Amino acid sequence: MWKWKALKEREDGSLRPSAFRRGVVSSRAASLQLSNAKEFISLHRGAINSLEGDAAEGRYLLSAASDGTVAVFDTDTRHGHGHGHGHGHPLFHLSRAHKFAVSRALWYPVDTGLFITASFDHYVKLWDTNSTQVVLDYKLPAKVYGIAMSSIATSHTLIATATADVQVRLCDLASGAFSHTLSGHRDGVMSVEWSSSTEFVLITGGCDGAIRFWDIRRPGTFLLLDQSLSQLGTRPPLLPSPSNNESTSLPTSSKSSSSTPILPAQKRTSHKKIQLKPPTQWSHPGMASSQNRATAHYGAVNGLRATADGFYLLSSGSDSRLRLWDIESGRNTLVNYEAMSIQASKPIQLAVTPDSSLVFVPCMASLKAYDLWSGTTINSYRGHYESVNCCFFNAQDQELYTGSNDRQILVWAPSIPAATQIEEADSEGGITSIDQDNWSD
Amino acid sequence: MAGEESGLETESGMVAWRLIEPATNSTEPDVDPRLLKAIKSAVRSSDVETRAAVRCLMDLMKKPHSQVRYLSLLIIDELFMRSKLFRTIFVETFDQFLALSVGFRKNMPLPPPSTIASNLRKKSIEFLEKWHSNFGIHYRQLRLGFEYLKNVLKYQFPNNLENAARLQRERRERELKTQEILLGKFENLKENFSSIKGEINSTIDEINECLDIINVNQKELNPPIDFSLGDDEMEGFSSLEMRQIRIDSMKEAETVHETVDNEAVFDTLRELHKLLVLKHLVSVQEWISVLIRVELADNRFRDTALKEMIDLRNNIQSAKDKLVAIGCSFDKGKKVQLEEEEDIWEEGKIENIPQKSVQRKGKTVVSSSTSSNGISDSHNKTQNSKLDPERSKLLAEAPLVNWGPLLDNWGSNSDTVANQRGLEIEGHWGRVDHDRIIPQEKIAELSVHRMVYKEDPVEIKPCLAPLKNGTLCQRRDLKVCPFHGPIIPRNSKGNPIENCNEPMVNRSEDYVDGETLEKLAKQAVNNVRKRERDEREIKRAKLARVTEHNQEVLRESAMASTSYSEDLVQSRGEFKTKKPTLASMLKKKVTAKDRIAKKLL
Repeated sequence: MWKWKALKEREDGSLRPSAFRRGVVSSRAASLQLSNAKEFISLHRGAINSLEGDAAEGRYLLSAASDGTVAVFDTDTRHGHGHGHGHGHPLFHLSRAHKFAVSRALWYPVDTGLFITASFDHYVKLWDTNSTQVVLDYKLPAKVYGIAMSSIATSHTLIATATADVQVRLCDLASGAFSHTLSGHRDGVMSVEWSSSTEFVLITGGCDGAIRFWDIRRPGTFLLLDQSLSQLGTRPPLLPSPSNNESTSLPTSSKSSSSTPILPAQKRTSHKKIQLKPPTQWSHPGMASSQNRATAHYGAVNGLRATADGFYLLSSGSDSRLRLWDIESGRNTLVNYEAMSIQASKPIQLAVTPDSSLVFVPCMASLKAYDLWSGTTINSYRGHYESVNCCFFNAQDQELYTGSNDRQILVWAPSIPAATQIEEADSEGGITSIDQDNWSD
Repeated sequence: MAGEESGLETESGMVAWRLIEPATNSTEPDVDPRLLKAIKSAVRSSDVETRAAVRCLMDLMKKPHSQVRYLSLLIIDELFMRSKLFRTIFVETFDQFLALSVGFRKNMPLPPPSTIASNLRKKSIEFLEKWHSNFGIHYRQLRLGFEYLKNVLKYQFPNNLENAARLQRERRERELKTQEILLGKFENLKENFSSIKGEINSTIDEINECLDIINVNQKELNPPIDFSLGDDEMEGFSSLEMRQIRIDSMKEAETVHETVDNEAVFDTLRELHKLLVLKHLVSVQEWISVLIRVELADNRFRDTALKEMIDLRNNIQSAKDKLVAIGCSFDKGKKVQLEEEEDIWEEGKIENIPQKSVQRKGKTVVSSSTSSNGISDSHNKTQNSKLDPERSKLLAEAPLVNWGPLLDNWGSNSDTVANQRGLEIEGHWGRVDHDRIIPQEKIAELSVHRMVYKEDPVEIKPCLAPLKNGTLCQRRDLKVCPFHGPIIPRNSKGNPIENCNEPMVNRSEDYVDGETLEKLAKQAVNNVRKRERDEREIKRAKLARVTEHNQEVLRESAMASTSYSEDLVQSRGEFKTKKPTLASMLKKKVTAKDRIAKKLL
């Protein structure tokens, strides 16, 4: 009954509205469970590989499956469908979007007029949502594992592609051609992510276990994450303005080494944005070969997710580890996420709540929620019958959508219902009346 | 407070544990009903017990023994159907439960014993379907599990509800359809009833008139002998058999024989008989069956019509009997068949069964006596045909057709009802369409006349060439004897007859001399022998290989399946435990193969 107390405090003015909102949202996010009222009727006849909600309205869910189909769902069941068990039928279902499995589908970050799909048939296609027709397509040299578009980009419209090829290609929507080819990985690239603080920084994770940072304005890798370089403790998620500017030149020369024990509570005081000033001579393009071989995971890096504030990067690997990286220092924060097993063969999609408190990780047939900063398991969501491939956290409704090899898209809704839903539940008492005890003896 | 509660929980939760554990520790195919009742009342008593029961049952489901899982499943079903709290808690680990009960995960197969494991799978799928239909809307996990097994893994669900509904529907549809058809026939009958009746009655009248004519003639020719007197005379000294023979002969004398005078009458009678049996009797029986089966709101017409129909049938029967009695049959084979059909027919429920059966008995006697009549009849016919030269000529020309089922429908060009013989056979293995009709073309196609070609025997002449020992060659070949060349007419000594000189010359040229001939023959024999020998050797080698392989396999299996320790355990177990235990179900039974293998070792 914290809610009533908090309400009272908010009325008094002792609790700020934003803090109140945060409290409600985080408590809802922490209490997710399988929703009985809302469901998406998946017409896919294959594993769901990707789920993506749109950034513009936070309402439409794009799903892609390995049978080459793509569908769009309306997550808001309140409009048009009336109450009760959500209809959940797709708004449209493209049965022959690609020849082979669609590995990833993305909304155009600006609006829902376009979406992009990537497939194992080597193609990346740009679709018009309203006519459901292909506007543009790119033929890549190998299977496409993942694509990414920067949600904060204002000066470019580039799609970064992760393919089985060693090179990362950037497709320019403006010209319809490849604008960049980034070489550096020694094996196929499984995952790709744009920095959420700078529009020119691209992060890629490869099958060789390396996570590389690229500045698309310059050639070569400017940062390569190394799992053996670590720092204890993390910065607070929300920080005051940077106090001092320290040189960012070398991760190796950074003084916050693991040798000096720092308590987790003791926050580092030095903060800075990623500075894209000209890197030092050795760091690129021909990095010292010893540096150039650093790995972030033992095995393929199959999932990458940057936190919304752009300071941290989460990576998952086929070694069944989840690592939290401090982007600025390029070091492993050594947060120990409790036991998990991550499927090795496919790229997976991680989800982080906007306030960077929870991370959702597909762990085989279940999905686990971890506290981002401590690594403790908050919850384990069981419901799928086969490996979960992707999850998407709908920040607006605090709902979680998961897609799995068993062809289902599940909705995990907060068990703390909104006020309107309580009334609805009362009104539909007629239906629930069947579900009662029935003791004959 | 909290500690106390938890203590209470463990303590009271123990009741469920204590009850469920022994309930599943049994080899019976069902849970002990008393224990089950106790479990139910325990679970009902408090929420704590329910929670404990869920935990306990899930633990038991993880046991590596299908029997334990099976009994747990039965308890789960009982509780699942009753308690809402149980359901709510239970569905949280529903995927785990399904993996343990259905065993759909490859890395988690169901434990032994395998027979119970398959039972377990079947039962859990059945339960899942039941739960889904009852509570599916309330529990997403139930729906998910059901859909996953059904749509992704393509498990076959028994689909009990739907199946029953479908069967019901189909049966109703079929009944409706038959009723419709019957109604149509009934209406048809209603319209034509009087005409049908009139037709049959006129036929019967004609028959009666014909019979009158014959009988009158008969009486004029030889007035009846006084039977009673004769009987009295005999009674004193003759045996029963003698008497019987006498009566028979008297009757025989009494019966009317076909003569030149009444030939025309007999012909008519035969025609009428045929008409009566083939057309009227059949149609009447059909109508009766229609009348019996049709369902109407107003039964008045039906009842009267049925009565009249039965009367008609009796009339026809009696007329037929009369005709048979005077030895007027149109086709013997036909008649026998018809009688058989009647026998089956009379087993139906018609009011006058006793009366009928009596009739039937009388009839069989008659028919046995008429069978002799039939022969004499045909004899008569042949005599008749001699009188008619044109007929005999035609007969000589006519092709001979073997007797067969095709004669049943000879010359008929009407459709045949396939499944309507007036009898309901319950033993059909599939659905029976009562109104199926075989079209006439189909019947013609089915009864296409075919015959086995019989070759005329050909006499093959012997070779008759002279041999060294003075006898003649007795080989019979069609054209060429392999030793003596073409077969030609020869005289008694084996020399060719004159007019065949020329070919003989040719022959002597072809077969140069006896020596080369002999050589060739020897060579041929050798060739054949050698081939045979080779074949035999190959076969023997193969057989040897196979037996070797078999022995090896047997030895291997023997090594794998029996060990002395296991043997020891078994022998000890045999005299120690009489009651079957769970562990004993897992033990492997010694098969004949194992015993043989042990002997081989």
